[in-house]
Amino acid sequence: MAAKSTAIIQMHHVDKHYGELHVLQDINLDVQKGEVVVLIGPSGSGKSTLCRTINRLETIDSGEILFEGKPLPQEGKELAAYRAEIGMVFQSFNLFAHKTILDNVTLGPREVLGTPKEEAEKEAMDLLARVGVAEQAHKVPAQLSGGQQQRVAIARSLAMHPKAMLFDEPTSALDPEMINEVLEVMVGLAKEGMTMVVVTHEMNFARRVSNRVVFMADGQIMEEGAPDEFFDHPKTERAKDFLDSIRGH
Amino acid sequence: MSAHTTSMRDALYEAPGPKTRRRTVIGTVVSLVLLAVAIFFIIRQFYITDQFNERYWSFLLEWSTWRFLLEGLWGTIQVAIMSGIISMALGLLLMLGRIGQNKIVSGICHVLTDLFRSLPSLLLIYFFFLVIPKYGIRMPSFWMLTIPISLAASGVLAEVFRAGVNAVPKGQTEAAMSIGLTHGKIVRKIILPQALRIVIPSLVSQLVVVVKDTTVAYVVSFPDLMQNTRVLISNYDALVSMYFVVAIIYILINYAINQLSIYLAHRSGNKIVTRTSENPV
Repeated sequence: MAAKSTAIIQMHHVDKHYGELHVLQDINLDVQKGEVVVLIGPSGSGKSTLCRTINRLETIDSGEILFEGKPLPQEGKELAAYRAEIGMVFQSFNLFAHKTILDNVTLGPREVLGTPKEEAEKEAMDLLARVGVAEQAHKVPAQLSGGQQQRVAIARSLAMHPKAMLFDEPTSALDPEMINEVLEVMVGLAKEGMTMVVVTHEMNFARRVSNRVVFMADGQIMEEGAPDEFFDHPKTERAKDFLDSIRGH
Repeated sequence: MSAHTTSMRDALYEAPGPKTRRRTVIGTVVSLVLLAVAIFFIIRQFYITDQFNERYWSFLLEWSTWRFLLEGLWGTIQVAIMSGIISMALGLLLMLGRIGQNKIVSGICHVLTDLFRSLPSLLLIYFFFLVIPKYGIRMPSFWMLTIPISLAASGVLAEVFRAGVNAVPKGQTEAAMSIGLTHGKIVRKIILPQALRIVIPSLVSQLVVVVKDTTVAYVVSFPDLMQNTRVLISNYDALVSMYFVVAIIYILINYAINQLSIYLAHRSGNKIVTRTSENPV
């Protein structure tokens, strides 16, 4: 797969094993700047693992991953600096439990970017207002609902001015009535041109917002394509079965 | 994690039904009767052996007795607090070294932790009392007692700290990595503050062990509560009454420490875990 000059994330022949299990098999994937790529597939298909290899929360056995044309740093300060450029939103929010909402958002800018306290707090409050949780700024995470916590987690990532954002099943741990408030924030980001890789089960979101859907099963990319094309005319049997199973009857 | 909403008892047993309630009542009555019988026999035995004789108790009405005991208590408190501080600092260092990325440091800290944890504190005290002076190192009895007690406790505390670090969810580290914090900052800003809050109750409970360890002070002739008690016993030939009094003092000290740990557990637990009722998930 030829590297296009605009591809911000490139994965070439990426393989990974967990012991006997071949969780990523010869993965080739390019993500263009400003593109929203949705990864879907049955549980255990490797989509979360793939997402996590992009900021090296998971290491790979072979192949290469490039960000802005450069291979990912392996360790130390360089790796930390690289991760600071990539936002990540987790299924279980992972807000820092001992810090207030405001401190959760300002920690990265202050410790990593060296932003002065006042400036960091001002920007954090703007971000919290944008995701609709400004009134909660001085509470601790456990006092917020899941949907609120996830929106704070998005604000925490945005505070680092990321070049791309990874979403690892951001709505899977939420009660149904809170899913939309998080998806709305993500839709907003997509519209502003944020480069996003999203692992999700929200098919409406995938169809409405993504530029491309990547379907994975058994550690392989089975097929990928524009959302309408994929949802209406899946090419592989696995994808058809998967879509049938989640659509119900 | 919600120890403050469900007590340990709630977690272990389901709500009792009618049969269980009846059995509980019978069990309670039977054990109260047995307890009363036991107390009766103890008192009777005391009476027969003349332990209530005035000469075993009257010296407890004198201020000089209590002043001597309080001096001992002060010695105990000094050793306990100093050992508490040293063992916490040392335990923290051993734990940090052990979980660190340097293999050699980690190995050394692992061995030291296990060594201090497995050696009886009395053996360590003999080492400092009998062996070290042979190499020309002289130290006051306070340190011959405090250092070994600190070493013994630091091994246990290192493991307590490590349990705390392991109890911090992995997601906290991953989130910290994802915003670009370096390893050192993740440990200092994210993991340690949470780990410490988790282990505060265990740390304070460990202080109880330290207080009990100080009672071997007689080996190095350090005047702690126990040593001064022994002096009073030989002066007044009042073994049972003195042990009785000093046991109550130790129980009170350790009860106070335990209350402190319960209070701290509640305070730190509430801060992190509680979801307020106005704002449920």
